[in-house]
Amino acid sequence: MKKVSLLTAAMMIAGMTTVNAQLIDEKDVTVTLDLQPVLQLDMTTPDQIEFVFDDIDEYYAGITHYGATVLKVSSTVSWDLYAVGRSTGTNGPTFWDQQIDYGNSNINAIEDLPLSLLELRQSQANSGAAASAGTFSDYSAAFSPSSIPSAQNSLYVNAGTNTAPSTDDKYIAGHKGVSGIAGNDFMQGGSYMNQNGITSDFYYVIDYRILPGLPAIFPMAHNADGGTSEDLVTASLNAGAYAEPGVYTMYVQYILLEDQ
Amino acid sequence: MHTIPHVKTLFFTVISLLFLFKPAHSQIHCGLVEIEQNTSVNSLLTFDSFSRYTGGFTINGVAKIKVRVENKAVIDPLCSWSLIMTIENNPSAGTPADEWEELNLYGTGGGQNPTVDALEIRVRNNCGTSPMDGFYSTFNNHMDILDIIAPMLPVTPSGTCTLNTNGPGSYLTNYDEFNFTIDIRVKPGYDFNPGIFQLNIKFRLEENL
Repeated sequence: MKKVSLLTAAMMIAGMTTVNAQLIDEKDVTVTLDLQPVLQLDMTTPDQIEFVFDDIDEYYAGITHYGATVLKVSSTVSWDLYAVGRSTGTNGPTFWDQQIDYGNSNINAIEDLPLSLLELRQSQANSGAAASAGTFSDYSAAFSPSSIPSAQNSLYVNAGTNTAPSTDDKYIAGHKGVSGIAGNDFMQGGSYMNQNGITSDFYYVIDYRILPGLPAIFPMAHNADGGTSEDLVTASLNAGAYAEPGVYTMYVQYILLEDQ
Repeated sequence: MHTIPHVKTLFFTVISLLFLFKPAHSQIHCGLVEIEQNTSVNSLLTFDSFSRYTGGFTINGVAKIKVRVENKAVIDPLCSWSLIMTIENNPSAGTPADEWEELNLYGTGGGQNPTVDALEIRVRNNCGTSPMDGFYSTFNNHMDILDIIAPMLPVTPSGTCTLNTNGPGSYLTNYDEFNFTIDIRVKPGYDFNPGIFQLNIKFRLEENL
């Protein structure tokens, strides 16, 4: 009995030894992927866009520069694009910089012109703004007639900073939030280079308008969410207010960033 | 003192064990099975421009698998081999089965990490001995297997330059059949998180039992 058990065990060991003797060789190839984020905003625009108001009709009807800026986006990540009005802060962070004034500085002549008086119109509606909670999610609406003050094209301004707009404010493409749901609050990665057709979510033509009105109070100026007028009369609480003649400058910053 | 029925029981037990282990007693048919220069390869694909993302990144000849299989001193007509590829993504690090292992993220990382099928792999040799020769294939999950020369095929002798050649031979004497060039291609598109990710492809050469 004992001998038979030993024999069995020996056979089992012999069997296992044979299994392990299969000839095998291996080689490893490790592939490391370095996906660096690429966000590229190509912009075609003049160095200066001048609005010279030297005719009474221009005060009434405003001056529009069509297609003054073309924005072309290439991004490998989900992205948002917005515009923000800024200045150097000579007159305050939310006002145009007054370079020179004309006239005698009448008490009703206001030198602090809000940055939001500049209006933008984008050629392509924002297709990634379903999560927008504001009245206006982008700048795609047509410019409002001079007789109907509207905030729909008023430039976004945030206390002189370039901080991104909130859910109530305007984006050119995408919007505030990281829901991850397509069309909600971001634009998917891609490029204008491989788009077909006459419209594209990666290509925006921007028109600019300034409408002073008469008196020159800039009736289209509004705060970021469009809920409060920033025309000179409302802002200064002076019924006789008007814009002080002079030369003013500001700049528009276009910011392309990963969805957030 | 053993009784006869007891001895009979033991006898049948031994016989049963012998039958049980018979499949494990596979005969070794080959004398040597080897991948030459089997040092590991580490390949870095850097995507740092939009054209890279759009056009993809291809490395032809990222590795060469040089096979050498020798018969035993006493020729065994059943000596043959198989060569397979297995994909690994280090699941112990918490990597989902269908994704690349994440080493580092750039940005918020709110999107999708690259999926395993983003890696395309092609195997070729001059005789086209592999059924997957010449076209790109993909894996889907950790430990997926692609057969270059499938296991347990009938023996196809070397020197014939035909499909599934798996007889003894060497890249030294039959280069066109025993040398496999590995190409890889990645076209990530624009949907994946930016970051650094890794996969390992294991090539396994075995003699057929």
